[in-house]
Amino acid sequence: MAAPLVPKLLRAHLSDLASNDARLDDRGQWDGRETKLEIGVLPRAEGSARVTMGNTIVLAGVKFQIMTPYPDRPNQGGLMCSCEVRSIAGRHWENGPPSPQSIELGRVVDRGIRESGCIDVDDLCIIPGEKAWQVILDLHAISDDGNLFDAFALAGIAALRNATIPAERFEIGEDTPLKVSKTPIMCSYHKVGGRFVYDASYREELGGDERIHITLGDDDHVHSLQKGLKGIFTADEFAEIMEHAKSRCSELRDMVNG
Amino acid sequence: MGGYGDVQMIDDDGLRMDGRKPGDVRPITIETGVVPVADGSCRMTWGTNEAIVAVYGPMEAHPRKIQRQDRAVLDVTYNMAPFSTTDRMRPGFNRRSREISKVTADALESVVLLELYPRSKIRISIEIVSAEAGTRCVGLTAASVALADAGIPMTDLVVSVASGKINDVVVCDLNKEEDNYGEADLPMGVLPNSGELVFLQMDGDLSPDEFKQAWDYNMDAAMEVHKLMVDALKGGEN
Amino acid sequence: MAASTVMKGWPVARLDTMSRESSADGPRDSRRALVVVPGEDLGVSEGYEAGHGVLVVDGRLRSTKQGRMNTKGSTVSVEPLHTTYMPRPGDLVIGHIEGCTNNIWFVDIGAPFNSILPMSLGPAKVEFGGTRKILDIGDSILCRVQEVEETHQSVVTMKGLGLRKIKSGALDEVDPHLLGRLIGKGGNFLRDLKLESECRIVVAENGRLWIDGDLDGIFKVRNCLKELSLEARQVGGVN
Repeated sequence: MAAPLVPKLLRAHLSDLASNDARLDDRGQWDGRETKLEIGVLPRAEGSARVTMGNTIVLAGVKFQIMTPYPDRPNQGGLMCSCEVRSIAGRHWENGPPSPQSIELGRVVDRGIRESGCIDVDDLCIIPGEKAWQVILDLHAISDDGNLFDAFALAGIAALRNATIPAERFEIGEDTPLKVSKTPIMCSYHKVGGRFVYDASYREELGGDERIHITLGDDDHVHSLQKGLKGIFTADEFAEIMEHAKSRCSELRDMVNG
Repeated sequence: MGGYGDVQMIDDDGLRMDGRKPGDVRPITIETGVVPVADGSCRMTWGTNEAIVAVYGPMEAHPRKIQRQDRAVLDVTYNMAPFSTTDRMRPGFNRRSREISKVTADALESVVLLELYPRSKIRISIEIVSAEAGTRCVGLTAASVALADAGIPMTDLVVSVASGKINDVVVCDLNKEEDNYGEADLPMGVLPNSGELVFLQMDGDLSPDEFKQAWDYNMDAAMEVHKLMVDALKGGEN
Repeated sequence: MAASTVMKGWPVARLDTMSRESSADGPRDSRRALVVVPGEDLGVSEGYEAGHGVLVVDGRLRSTKQGRMNTKGSTVSVEPLHTTYMPRPGDLVIGHIEGCTNNIWFVDIGAPFNSILPMSLGPAKVEFGGTRKILDIGDSILCRVQEVEETHQSVVTMKGLGLRKIKSGALDEVDPHLLGRLIGKGGNFLRDLKLESECRIVVAENGRLWIDGDLDGIFKVRNCLKELSLEARQVGGVN
């Protein structure tokens, strides 16, 4: 990913906006963009979702494979989350081997889903020590106008909840829905013009500093955190965004469970 | 192409498994402006194929060594998303994708007025998010709509259609089952206003008569698809 | 505004040839503002000249772009629905400094190729090797295109009235072909917008705008730009 040029004027304007409690697109500090979730959009995937947040669009698809369980965990299947941001998603994304940015994206989303325990890997075992299901969640960005993290996480969990284990195709019994017991939701905050805002757009990301990602489970338990990019933040700032994350996560959870 | 002649893909009335006549094309939808951050974009569904194409540019060509002093370069990537096929497609380098990217670029270079943009690059990203059969045709056709949407000057749109042979009968636009048992495949890229060709591949086995038939099916189908492309680009105006 | 320059025999689209409505009373009047697509046949070429977005192939006019067909006098052209900025000598542009050497700045002017600003055309007297003290990477400047070669090597200058480094306000962007609408007939639309928003607005030909004023004013201008872009994107949707 070629580092895009950050005009100094943009940074100055963003901090000017922040000191007047305003944002580039007229949103409030804690307002998200209009979010749309569609499920079952990909005919070849066993579970799928498309999330649209303003001009950010992502797809998530779930596929299943048969794997041999690891010797130390003979009764467990696997969950894998892979993320690709290819050149379709924006001028600044390039093809080639996965960039550190897209690897970070995939791993942060993966941790949130894995650590929430929403998928019971013991359930995925077919024959202990021999055969188990591997669930693969593929995240694909179509249009990047900022905050791919939240869009990926939302699409990812929605696609898993929509997934069916294709047992008939592999000739091992009947198709059953994948059991997903929880709904972990991620909220991301970017420091723009000296203060944290929720759901930053691309221009805010470009002219902003560090970002913090929080994944909360059903009972507001924290499942993953990530601080990215250069920047310093205080404990008070963190407490404030944590408060907001709790209310926003439950809104988004209702959308997924809907 | 296997040539499994024992599987019956065409019934006694000459209709195919999905009810189409031999010369019929699967249902198609075309939508532009689907990637808001791109200069031009197109989503095309063709049967259960779905391609999303974004065009960026003309923009500065990096690295410098790819720049051409007399014209723009087309940077085409064709990629199948991991979830686009029945068995998961592993992401990463893939010889098939590379070849299709190259022939798609070759076809589009024949129509885009590259000499107007020396030293620059036009980037075309073709993502197949759902694959049935004939994804290269969908990708190329959608790419030409996306280029038009981006305002890139070109002498004509490119329509790509494939015909093939099943059970010794020549049919147009093979679907997945037909493709699995197909005995030949002839994808073509046609310029609808002149009837000229910019893209041609073929594999399998066709007699001279069958070849002529497949060729004619492709030409007729291309004109039909072209009407849909024009409608999509005009957005219901005129 | 400089006279229409011709590149490789192509009359180039300019703001003054991209008016919203054609005032031409040509024989093709009935076909005015028709939306056309690349490859579309626009009739015989005899008696007509091919303007922007139009080619002559075998004695017939053919569109090369998606856009609205315009007939002005005997020139048939296509006003595109989407364009990339192509610099021409004399254009006022807003650029960002993206790099520099001891005696040259590299300027991103939103075109398919960057420009150079040599030290001699800079805003102030510079010591050799002191370029970053005057204009640093990330700074934005108001400059004018001095020269564009056929191979797209281009030079910008800051010698001229009003050309300077931009130190305050905000930048925004619209597609270059919408500038005609933004300015309006005789500059009316832009003048009204300036009065209403109480902002200083400089419209550069590469589609970048410098808006200087208080935040309310900047928001007013921004909303207006958003509407303009949405309106222009109406054509070309689902089929």
